[in-house]
Amino acid sequence: MAKTILTVDDSGSLRAMVAFSLKAAGYQVVEAVDGQDGLSKAKEKTVDLVLTDQNMPIMDGLTLIRHLRGLGSYQKVPILMLTTESSDEMKAKGKAAGANGWLVKPFDPKRLIEVVQKVIG
Amino acid sequence: MNPMPVQALKQLLTGVSGHGNQHLSEVEADLQQTALLLSEAIETLSASFNAIHAAVAAQQLALDQLLAAQGVQAEAAQPLLQLREEIGAQVGSAITAMQFQDMTSQLIGRMLKRIDGLRDLLAPLENGQTAMPRADQHEALSLLLHDMHARVRDKSQALNGGLRQSVKQQHMASGDVELF
Repeated sequence: MAKTILTVDDSGSLRAMVAFSLKAAGYQVVEAVDGQDGLSKAKEKTVDLVLTDQNMPIMDGLTLIRHLRGLGSYQKVPILMLTTESSDEMKAKGKAAGANGWLVKPFDPKRLIEVVQKVIG
Repeated sequence: MNPMPVQALKQLLTGVSGHGNQHLSEVEADLQQTALLLSEAIETLSASFNAIHAAVAAQQLALDQLLAAQGVQAEAAQPLLQLREEIGAQVGSAITAMQFQDMTSQLIGRMLKRIDGLRDLLAPLENGQTAMPRADQHEALSLLLHDMHARVRDKSQALNGGLRQSVKQQHMASGDVELF
């Protein structure tokens, strides 16, 4: 059964690119438009991986990760950041919040799939 | 002090604020138009990209079936496999490049916030918001100008503090990956 990935980004075009790449590699994709929407969809169904942007309206990526890590069902689920942010300071905040990895935009689909496969198989 | 310089000062401050606001509005309108054009462009690009990808995938499937039906040797089909790999590589490059709209929209959003902040920064100079002292009230005039300067400086600092640069990319090459 295909693994499910929750992708959270306020940019519709970016979500489309991520979804296209992941679906082409055989994954099921759930999309969310911001952190709050992501949290809501994550609660509806526990996914195998969360791929989230940082800078979003309503709830940012770091806040989403902290909320998810507070849920029992998401303590072990891998969470990757996919963001334009590239500073060491932000990466350190991501790691402290519970992120398992950091991908700087723009992403290369081949590299994205390699990382996803490495993290969830 | 001659009353004329005070009047000239009021006109100067009002002029700076008024002209500044007018040009900021023009820049704001241009940026909003740019954002709309980019948004429409990426929607069209994405739709075309998906349609082309679906058509190419269907074409490749049809070719596979044709080759199998004709019993074509693997060696003879090699050029088609190379083309398939080339198409895959170009699809990947296109996906990376089409992420421009995500980054440009963030940059435009930041510029629009700065314009809002600049408009706010110019507000203390507006004639209507600042009661000018009489020309002979030198100390009051000095205090007023000092206060205006302080308000402009504070608003400028607040603006800088609230507008962190989150997009530092200078090109469309793919970014770093780090697993913790």
